[in-house]
This record gives sequence, structure tokens and C-alpha cells, in this order.
Amino acid sequence: MINSDRLLELKFSVLRGLAAIFVSISVAAILIFIISDQPGNALFQLLLSPLGNERQMWNILERMIPFLFTGLAVCVMFSAKQFNLAAEGSVMLGAFMAAMTAIYVPMPPIIHPIVSILVGVITCGLLMLIPALLHTKLGANVLVSTLMLNFIIQFCVQFVLVNIVADRSQGALMTYQFLETAGIPAIRFNTSYGLVLGLAMVVVVSLFIYRTRWGYAIRMVGLNKEFSAYSGLKVAGIIILCQVIGGMLAGMGGAVEMLGFFDRFRWRLLPGYGWNGITIAILAKNNPALVPFAAFFLAYLSRGAVNMTIHADVPFEMMDIIQAVIFLFFAAEKFLAGYRQKMVVKKAKRELGEDLPAKKGG
Amino acid sequence: MFEQIASSVFTTAFLASVLRITTPILFAALASVISERAGVANIGLEGIMMLGALFGVIFSAWTQSAFVGVVGAGLVGVLIGLMMGWFSLKLGTDIILSGIAVNMLGAGGTIFLLFMFTGLRGNSAALDSRMIPALEMHFLEGIPVLGAFARQSILTYVALLCVFLVFVLLYKTPLGLNIRAVGENPHAADSVGMSVRKVKYIALGISGFLAGLGGAYMSMFYSRGFTTDMVAGRGFIALAAQAMGRGEPLGAMLSSLLFGAADALSHHMQGTALPSQLVATIPYVITIIGLSLYAARTIGKVKRARKARAQTATNA
Repeated sequence: MINSDRLLELKFSVLRGLAAIFVSISVAAILIFIISDQPGNALFQLLLSPLGNERQMWNILERMIPFLFTGLAVCVMFSAKQFNLAAEGSVMLGAFMAAMTAIYVPMPPIIHPIVSILVGVITCGLLMLIPALLHTKLGANVLVSTLMLNFIIQFCVQFVLVNIVADRSQGALMTYQFLETAGIPAIRFNTSYGLVLGLAMVVVVSLFIYRTRWGYAIRMVGLNKEFSAYSGLKVAGIIILCQVIGGMLAGMGGAVEMLGFFDRFRWRLLPGYGWNGITIAILAKNNPALVPFAAFFLAYLSRGAVNMTIHADVPFEMMDIIQAVIFLFFAAEKFLAGYRQKMVVKKAKRELGEDLPAKKGG
Repeated sequence: MFEQIASSVFTTAFLASVLRITTPILFAALASVISERAGVANIGLEGIMMLGALFGVIFSAWTQSAFVGVVGAGLVGVLIGLMMGWFSLKLGTDIILSGIAVNMLGAGGTIFLLFMFTGLRGNSAALDSRMIPALEMHFLEGIPVLGAFARQSILTYVALLCVFLVFVLLYKTPLGLNIRAVGENPHAADSVGMSVRKVKYIALGISGFLAGLGGAYMSMFYSRGFTTDMVAGRGFIALAAQAMGRGEPLGAMLSSLLFGAADALSHHMQGTALPSQLVATIPYVITIIGLSLYAARTIGKVKRARKARAQTATNA
């Protein structure tokens, strides 16, 4: 009985997810037909071209890497209903700290990237103490303080980049090259072993959230803060913990992306992966185990959008519109609620219909 | 260096720039006040401002009328506000998430829409859009303090007027009473027959309109035309201004002025020896500090009240 109810619920949420994706792709198609002189080609580029050849497929995996980390980071923080939006800034800061270690601290190979990533991870974990403590000690709104923090990080990194560590021999603004020992090697093409680390973190975070008491506490705080406090959980500590973990994961994502894909630090502006992370957490319904699928989906779309920009006449930014629409419908708990009601009623009727004759017979 | 800063701060010109910079923040802060009082956290203000900035330019270029541009921007804001309402009230999307979605539309979506409507990429410089005129009051020039008002945009006066209008709306009209009731206790409001959903829709609509005006100001007075990321976090700063102003129109105005002054200060310090990137962080740092101080004070008050209550209880 419980199982069949669960099955119905699962069937419905899959259906709703597909419907949300269908709506957003339809919106994309409509926009493409309005804007493009060659809508057929543009749609093909967006939806099918990423399957074109091996290189394209590896590129999807490459794009997945930062999404995996920020998706996990947001999952952990949103599980406890902490709307901390500083994953965005953490990616930039983590990448920058890793880059600094990669340029200025010589170390043997293998150890070098590991230490560089750890430097990024630790810095961002500490960074998240700021909004977390301001919230738990003083009651400052996390949403607003983390939004501000993102801008502060962006300008501070710019400051160090422009005034202290810029390579003046280059025309554009960038640091010196990373030491050769620091890079994360590639599996194939530009896809680094960061992908493996990302998937490993998916396993670790899933186990943490679903198999440890800390993870359980984080989910309970998300479900009902007052009740958790009443039943003896140290709510403030858990709120701080989940944000520090979120910051560490996002910082790791930035560091891995920087060392795996670039050879110099050259981000002037926030990279946007933190916001993608929120989309992914919503697609995955805050379940870390589903993050790889959501990240793959988003990476696929983003590769498609790049192809569409190169080979057809539609700007890449359409991606943001698709993301916003997916986002709105996926998070809509009552989307297709009428249909769900019908499914439940139908099932109940069927069960009653089965039960009644049996009773008569008895 | 500090004398240099001090001498530039205590001038009419500085005050004028504070007013100029505060205007868009004030619009958005009032927008936040209205929605917050109805119990809806509208964090999509940043995105609504971006869309307002874009459509203000587009409408004014099409009709060659600044007025149509500004009103059009406001109406686009209303539409976005109602859309957020539809998703969160009807379809059950968390209001914070629908706000984030609107901000995505404002960031990348505006670039796409600009290209779709005009074929331009990234900025509207090639578009013959109208500007909001300034109200020239030459007789004020030279008078200390009041001189700051000599050449402000018409929308700056509209914003100041809106502080008063929002106050009247909230405290002197039946709709305002409904908004406050719904925000304070939706169940109680529902039980006396108010349509909670309708009131929230109206609040989001008004909120969107005000944020849209703030956006139009950005692209039709503050800068000439629309550029990528031009709102630069003002919608978020407005959220902080609302929180610091305790959801009161006047309080929101005062904290908006504080952030406006911080931003103006950072502009004035660009020429000094201080590095411009660090100076650029000032408004954001002040926002975090202000937010924390305000929140801490509130908590302190609650604690004191509790203590006092406990005291009277034991005395009795």
C-alpha cells in the first residue's frame, strides 16, 4: 500500500519534471522562431548538436565539473533552508586562492594541486563563517548579507589582481602562469580529472546527508527549525555547519575549475557558477545523489547554446531565459496539481473497486 | 588625503550626487517595503530593475517619448510582479526562488531581449532613446543644501513623493490595512474574509511598478541608455535598506540615503590615492554592517522585553 503510494508520487514527480523541461524547451523554441532567420538550424544546434561527435560529448562533461560542486554546495545549504547565495563568490575566491598557491608556492607534482585545492576549500569555508555567524549571533538576513558578500569578493579579487599579482607583460589583465606542477591533468581533451573528484564528492555528500547524524540534523533543521530546537538539536551550530560545508564545496569547485581548465587566473567578474548551482539543486530537489544528472542536463543545454551562438544567429544568453523557466516550473509544487489529484482519485477508486467485491464475497 | 575627501563631502555638489544615486535605490526599497509588509519577500527587485531599464529605453525609442518609456517600464515591472505572484501563490514556487529566476531573466535575459527587439548586443548606445528631463530650478543654485535640488531628475521628486504615498497607502487606506493584516497574520486576515491571495497580488504589482521606475531611472537619467549589468546590485541593496528601515517608508528612505551616501563617497574617492576596487566595496560593506547592527539591536530589544516580562511575572 505504502509502496504503491510512493510509486504514484514518484511517477508524478518524474512526469512533472518532464513537463517543466518541455515547457522551457517550448519557450526556447518560440523565442528562436521569433529571433532567428534559420530557426530549424538554431533548434538543431541547441538540442541535438552536443551529441555530434566525441569532442562535443567530452565538452559536456567538462562543463559539468563546476556545476557538480556548486550544485552540491547549494543542496547542502538549501537542505537546511539556508538561502545562502555566496556559492557564487566562493567559486571566485576558491579559484583565486588556488591560483595564488599554484603560482607562488612551488611543490612537487600531485601534492601541488591537492594543496592548492585545499587552500581554496579552507578559505571559502572560513569565508562562510561571516554570513553564518552574523545570522546566528546577530540575526542578520543571510540572503542579503551573502548577496553583498559576492560583490565584496569580486572587488577584492579585482583589487589584488590589478594592483599586486598582474602579469604586466600581457596585454589583457591576468596573473602569471601556474607552475607546471599545479595543473590537474586531463582525462581527454580539456576534461580534467576534476570530474572524478566531483563525482567522488557526490558520493561523499550523499552519504553525509543521508547516512550521518549531522546530515540528518541538517535535513531536520530544514524541515522544521523550531521542532529541531525543541527536540534538543543545536540549531545554530547546524546552520553554521551547513554553510561552511557549502562554502568549502563551492570553493573546491572554483579551485578545480581553475587548475583543470586554465593556466592563468583571468576572471574579472563573478563567473556565474553559483547561480547554476541553484538551478541544479532545484532540479535535483536538494538530493545530492541526483546532482550529476541535473548537472549533465544543464551542461548539455549550455553546450547546445554555445553551438547555437556559433553556428546559428541566436545569442548565448537565451540560456538564462531557459534556466529561469525551468527553475520556475520545477520548483512549482502545485504545478499540475489538478492532474495529480485526478491520478490519486483514480487510484483510490480502483482500489475501492477491488476491495468492495472482495468484502461482498467475504 | 582625508582633508581632500572631507572637503569634497561637505559640499552641495556631493549632496546632489547623493540624491542622484539614492533615487533608484529608494524606488526599489519602497517596492520592497510594500511587498514585505504583505508578507512577500520580493528578491526579484534587481531583475525587475534590469527589465525596467531595458524596456524604458526600448519604449522611449519606439514612441520618442520619455513619459511612455517610464510608464512602460513601470508596467513591465507590474507584469513581472504579477508573474512572480502567479508562480508563488498559484503554482507553489518558493517566492525566493521565483525572485532568483526573475534576477536571471534580468541578467542574461535582458541581453537576449535587447538583441531580439533591436538587434543590438550588450548596450543600447545605437538606439535613439529619450532621456528623463531634469527639473531645472536655477533659483536654488548657490543656496547651501537646497542647491542640491537645483538640477535633479523629475523621477527623483517622484521617488520622494512616493515615500509619502506609500506611507499614506499603508496607514491611511483600506488597502493598506489589508496589506498589513495579510503580512502580519494571513490566517487571521483570511478568517475575516479577506482574499489573502488578491492582496498579495496587488502588493507584488505595486512593488513591481516601483522597481520598474527605478530601472527606468537607471537607463534614462543616471546613464544614457541600457548596458549589461547596469543595476549592479542596487536591487539587493534596496532589500537591505528595507530591512534596516524596519519596513517603514520613512525608515527605508533614510537607509537608502545612507547607502546612497556610501556610494557617492566611493565615487568621490575614485580620484584619490585609495585603490578604486576597494573603494567600490564601500556600499556593500556598509550594507552588511548596517544590516547586522540593525538586526542585533532588534534581538537586544526582544531580549530586554522578555527579561522585563519575566521580572514582572516573578514580582506578581
